[in-house]
Amino acid sequence: MSSWLDYTINGLIVGNVYALVAVGLALIFGVSRLINFAQGSIYLVGAYIGWVAVVQLHTPLPLTIIVVAAAAAVVGLVIERFGLRPLQNSVRIAPLLATIGISFVLDQLVMLTFSPNPRALPSQLPDVRFQLGGGTIGPLDLLIAGVGITSALLLFVFLRYSKLGWAVRAASQDRDAAMQMGVDVNRVNQAVFGIAAALGGVSGMLVGMYYNQIDTAMSLQATLKGVVAEVVGGAGNVPGAVIGSLLLGLVESYGVAVFGTSYRNLFAFLLLVVVLVLRPNGLFASARQAPPEPLTGTFIAPSRPVRIPRWALAVAAAIFAVLPFFPVSFYVLQTLINAWLLGMLALSLTLVAGTVGQVSLGHAALLAIGAYTSALLSLTLSVPVGLAVIGGGLMSAALGTLLISPSFRLRGHYVSIATLAIGEIVSLVILNWEGVTRGPIGISGIPPLSLFGYDLISPSSVYWFSFAVMVVLALLQGRLLTSHLGRSFRAIRDDDIAARAYGLSLNRYKSLAFIFGGFAAGVSGGIAAHLYSYINHETFNTQQSILALTVVILGGLGNVVGAILGSVALVGLPEVFRIAAEYRILIYGIVLLLLVRFRPQGLLGTI
Amino acid sequence: MSNIDRRTLVKGSLAAMMAGATFSRAAFAQSAEPILLGVSGPLTGPNAQYGTQWKQGFDLALDEITAAGGINGRKLAYQFEDSQSDPRQSVAIAQKFVSDPRIALELGDFSSPASMAASPIYQRGGLVQFGFTNSHPDFTKGGDFMWSTSVSQADEQPLLAAYAVKRLGLKKLAVLHLNTDWGRTSRDYFVKAAKEYGAEVAVTEGYIAEERDFRSTLVRVRDANPDGLILISYYSDGALIARQARQVGLKQMICAASSVYSPKFLELGGEAVEDVHLGTRYFPEDPRPEVKKFITGFKAKYGGQEPDAFNAYAYDAMNMAAAVVKIGGTDRRAIRDAFAKVKDVSSVIFGLATFDVESRRVKGAMNAELVVRKGQFALWDGKPT
Repeated sequence: MSSWLDYTINGLIVGNVYALVAVGLALIFGVSRLINFAQGSIYLVGAYIGWVAVVQLHTPLPLTIIVVAAAAAVVGLVIERFGLRPLQNSVRIAPLLATIGISFVLDQLVMLTFSPNPRALPSQLPDVRFQLGGGTIGPLDLLIAGVGITSALLLFVFLRYSKLGWAVRAASQDRDAAMQMGVDVNRVNQAVFGIAAALGGVSGMLVGMYYNQIDTAMSLQATLKGVVAEVVGGAGNVPGAVIGSLLLGLVESYGVAVFGTSYRNLFAFLLLVVVLVLRPNGLFASARQAPPEPLTGTFIAPSRPVRIPRWALAVAAAIFAVLPFFPVSFYVLQTLINAWLLGMLALSLTLVAGTVGQVSLGHAALLAIGAYTSALLSLTLSVPVGLAVIGGGLMSAALGTLLISPSFRLRGHYVSIATLAIGEIVSLVILNWEGVTRGPIGISGIPPLSLFGYDLISPSSVYWFSFAVMVVLALLQGRLLTSHLGRSFRAIRDDDIAARAYGLSLNRYKSLAFIFGGFAAGVSGGIAAHLYSYINHETFNTQQSILALTVVILGGLGNVVGAILGSVALVGLPEVFRIAAEYRILIYGIVLLLLVRFRPQGLLGTI
Repeated sequence: MSNIDRRTLVKGSLAAMMAGATFSRAAFAQSAEPILLGVSGPLTGPNAQYGTQWKQGFDLALDEITAAGGINGRKLAYQFEDSQSDPRQSVAIAQKFVSDPRIALELGDFSSPASMAASPIYQRGGLVQFGFTNSHPDFTKGGDFMWSTSVSQADEQPLLAAYAVKRLGLKKLAVLHLNTDWGRTSRDYFVKAAKEYGAEVAVTEGYIAEERDFRSTLVRVRDANPDGLILISYYSDGALIARQARQVGLKQMICAASSVYSPKFLELGGEAVEDVHLGTRYFPEDPRPEVKKFITGFKAKYGGQEPDAFNAYAYDAMNMAAAVVKIGGTDRRAIRDAFAKVKDVSSVIFGLATFDVESRRVKGAMNAELVVRKGQFALWDGKPT
């Protein structure tokens, strides 16, 4: 019995830590309807500024907090002014992508300045421990709880009773109306980003002190958990974010208690999916709250796609098809193979995200399902590789659609968050379902690609194979888009209520899109498995999902040629930037930001 | 290199241009140019810290090799390509190295998914993939071009089990391990050995690498009522677990795998890692001359910084590569054959390293039993803590 008390206390303690990030995310979401993926990076910056203050300047704690808050606020203001404000009249999805780019840049800057080695960030509070249940808590636990709850309360009061707070809420409800009423929306945004960034910076520092450890990998994890907690509490709801965080902490802790440590995150993400399906506005949304966001139609702006004449496409395809006959290095071929594999994933994502409007952030899961299915079919059942890859595609289509179907009733950002969670769940199931997937050991000795008994081993043959598969999938998808199915898909994206009024069954069409997309992604994963010969649960990770989404947005949502062009660009750029060694991801982030700034509808435009 | 035909030359030069390496004719002019090794490893991304530690170890070894006159009069150098530990990038790097005739031998990658995805390309391309941190049991099964000096967990874990069970007298153990291929393999070997030595394993808990909060895990550990905790961890997560174990009131003895051996473990763990026991391959006061040379050289080069396990692996790997190239020259097949010929290469980890030709690994890692005393690693004096 006393153990349960301890699990409860531990859950609350760690929930406390999540709350610090979640509050900042909630504030920004409340105003600009934006999931700020850079919040984790500000948290990272805050931790390192805290390290400089504590270890090098020896500032006392109150001064440290002020320094970190001020410096982080400046970073937030810079992000708002130069990263996001120029995008305010562009597509809704542009700022989302911009925050991803900004987080690349910030993380890399910290890594280059401070080296990736973890550092100790000593706590400046007296080392006294209070007995609580079987364990102890220290003054930092209380300080973190204090900062979390106080900031949530202050923000709540600020939003409800101050004039600027009203302006913030007005701007969040209807930006244009607020502007007409004389609200300076830019100033509101500035205020919000400054406050959220200050909070994010301080929380990074406090959490760093709490664990006596800071490193450059802490940013993505902080964002992930923060997003989960925020959405559970109700996106944009500041006190809800605190309660959501505590609940998340408790669920994780009880999950560990009942099933063991390696199931911990599984419960976190299951909680998220359950909450999203049952109460999409979060646990604490009031009934009279307006629908979360009128995202369809505005999330993905209509634009005039760049029409590429057919003969040009045919010429381009022909050039790529005969490329291996020319003296190009195998390295270039291998890079292009990677681009074709990513291209298949991007085709899949551009269909569900661009054409149907279901922006998925968990697409790597489809790769993983296809890869594991194909690898296991060929290894344990000795299915010929060609058939195994198709089997991987089919399994990915079936299982992927099944897994994603609970999120069909969601819209806009919520689809992204639900798919993010489903992606994590798939990865954790692969890690834990050892009987089938061999768990963390992974699957080795996967046979190479082969067709009709001939092994495809040379880079040229793998190149032709992956290129041909991608072209076939692209042609099929192009045909699909010009059929009545394609028109129905776009109708659902542009206005789902009107589409339903016309008698379209939304779930069926969404399922169809996911079946087709799942197949393409599964085939890509299957080919990758046979190419690598070894896969484990880390081979297809969240970064892959984010990369795929970046490709799709870069190429132009729903745009088949754009998806392929984007894949070549995003696989090629980091390779071209190898000359810059450690700086290459920084440069990549900056290029991404510039593209979003000057071409938010993507290179080839939305179809 | 007169036997290089035009096609290979063009391919090589394209690769060089893609690399942005300043390609010049001199690159192919034999002896003035250094013998080039390719390194595929993480310099950015979540494992970036290990790539930077590799570099430190490599650079120190290269300084010493150059000071000793290089390899048959030629310098040894490496070209480090950042893979982010991502299999997609490591396969591209593999093709790049394979098609670049200047590369004599490849080192890395860091993680198993990145390394083993690239293995088929190295194997077919006939370039040795020398994975010096690849403990995955299947790594060297990728083919006869895969060689590894990573300490086999089948060797290391029984030593740790002997330390914990026979020497420290622990009878009921809780094992916490990283839930990766390395942690999982290690755990299995450890549990098997510990049982053979007569201890009971009360609970095993696997955690993911990004985990930072272990309090609930430690409640499970407490409820299993062990008399010792075994950490199969790296230094950063090991330090976190030790701190939180003390915070939740666990006072049991802690015994950790050699991968926590790093000054960072002491820095990050603070007082909580006092009295933590660990098995290592070398230690600061080690009387062996190769260890003394490594530690004094490292401190002199890096401003007094203490080297850690990953620095030592990289340092050893570069020395091994030098020894191999000395025998095999720059021909890739000859280099592969040279791995089977090198004998008794001076090594921090193994003392004298010789490959077992069957498994393409090195057996018989050195062993030292350490304990953290007054914030320093010290040889365990046999006294209970």
